[in-house]
Amino acid sequence: MRIFEPHIHMFSRVTDDYQRMATAGVRGILEPAFWLGQNRTSVGSFIDYFDTLIGWERFRARQFGMHHFCGISLNPREANNERVNAGVLEVLPRYLEKNGVVCVGEIGLDDQTRTEEQFLIAQLELAAQHGLPVLIHTPHRDKKKGFERIIALLSDLDYDMRMVLLDHGNEETIKLTRDLGCMSGFSIYPFTKMDEARMTAIVLEYGVERLIVNSAADWGVSDPLLVPKTVVKMRQAGVSEEDIETLVWRNPVGFFAQSGRFTPADLEQPAAIDRRETYEGNSMLRGQDPERI
Amino acid sequence: MQSILEKALAQGALEWWPGARARAAAGGEHVLAELFPALARRAGTASLGGGLRSEEVGPDRPARADLDAWRLCDAAGLVLIGLARAGGEALIDLFQHGDFEERTIVLRALCLLPVSEATIALLGEAQRTNVENHFAAAACDSNLPARAALHPSFGLEGFNRLVLKAAFLQEPVSRLLEVETRANPELTRMLQDLASEREAAGRAVWPGTNLLIAFAPIEGTAARLVGGLEHGDDVRRRSAAEGLAVLNQRDLQPFIRERLRREPRAEIRAALERALRS
Ligand SMILES: [Zn+2]
Repeated sequence: MRIFEPHIHMFSRVTDDYQRMATAGVRGILEPAFWLGQNRTSVGSFIDYFDTLIGWERFRARQFGMHHFCGISLNPREANNERVNAGVLEVLPRYLEKNGVVCVGEIGLDDQTRTEEQFLIAQLELAAQHGLPVLIHTPHRDKKKGFERIIALLSDLDYDMRMVLLDHGNEETIKLTRDLGCMSGFSIYPFTKMDEARMTAIVLEYGVERLIVNSAADWGVSDPLLVPKTVVKMRQAGVSEEDIETLVWRNPVGFFAQSGRFTPADLEQPAAIDRRETYEGNSMLRGQDPERI
Repeated sequence: MQSILEKALAQGALEWWPGARARAAAGGEHVLAELFPALARRAGTASLGGGLRSEEVGPDRPARADLDAWRLCDAAGLVLIGLARAGGEALIDLFQHGDFEERTIVLRALCLLPVSEATIALLGEAQRTNVENHFAAAACDSNLPARAALHPSFGLEGFNRLVLKAAFLQEPVSRLLEVETRANPELTRMLQDLASEREAAGRAVWPGTNLLIAFAPIEGTAARLVGGLEHGDDVRRRSAAEGLAVLNQRDLQPFIRERLRREPRAEIRAALERALRS
């Protein structure tokens, strides 16, 4: 079973995670730009982070046969930071043209402030200019109202909903998003919020059309194997292999391929693994002889 | 370069290209930040071709590059840099914030541009990378290392480091154009030391060693070349014969003659005969 993990922050994960994900069948990942656990104090920190996403992290993933794509954005939390928000917006156009960048994200609302809305709208417009889909983070607090507000903003802009992924949904929000023509994303977390069993129940009730499932794994308590684990749960519940593959491969791959930066056929083979490669002198091999591995 | 490129571009790319050219010419170096990321997917990564090309780039020797090693996007990058009249800072910025392909394009472009402080800085970046594509884009298939050796900020010290890295990465010496014109005793020492170290570890020695050390011999050079005549590997034996032809030392002729009688490979016999004639 091939899996595309459509929302994970590998920047905050260790090499073991790549190994375990590869073993569990994950062949492609989408890493949206996000908050790094504490606020950045300069635009330069964002630039270095973006350069890492298109450079080192992409290279690191390839060592494990994984196709790495990313989203670039000013995240909603730091949209509130007046020291950096306008400056970050200014550097985005350059990064939105990069080959590995297949969406603008994550953008959205968090505290649901006016400033967040202003930067959400600006980035929705940028995405349209660059022909990119958008990955929209929805608030964890006051979620239903957040969804409604984002949907209203999109509708005011007459936005192309085929280019929209509304993420971090649940049993309540699927009722709002299922008929909008956008992708509905579900993040599976250990212990809290959405879990494998609840996700399976949603699939049994609504099917898999325009649904996407991810682990959203980051610095916090999270599990990069939650998509493969959900696959097991769905199989046990009798969901067909065809539907499972649509949910964990065709839907996310098709959605991000709308960027025009890759085609689904490009992902048919695992990313090239050449363990002799090093990035800027930092070998993953740490002095071992590549021929002997 | 523009006409070579335009003959090679595919139909789809030809529709995009005039707009990109116009943007670069009108917008200057700042628009390159947005044009470069798209070069690989717009112009494509197919081979450019066209063989050896020379450009007059200033008072020194002309820049020479082997366009067979270039891709369409590399050529497009060079043309846009010219149209935008991009300065050194802009080139460094394009490299630093570029992805894998953009970095390759910037480094290739250096090979047909005048050597500046930015060139030296970027050669330093290429020197420190182990991404072979990036090293090769800057150091191989052109005479850039040989030209940069004349720049005071690079000199023979920088040149020697770059050639040693090429040896380390096992790049064929034929990809380092005009490299023999800057051969020097310090480089010979570095290459001989690397070869001894490799031999002690039972690892492959760079085949270019025998040729380059002959251009600036030091203690041990003649012995290494004569010893190379008995090497079991054809490539090493041939390079030893070629090195001896360059070295041109009469007292070594008995060794060359003795090997010639037993040498089974025609091309190596030819090299040995050249060594005897020289
Ligand atoms: Zn996230």
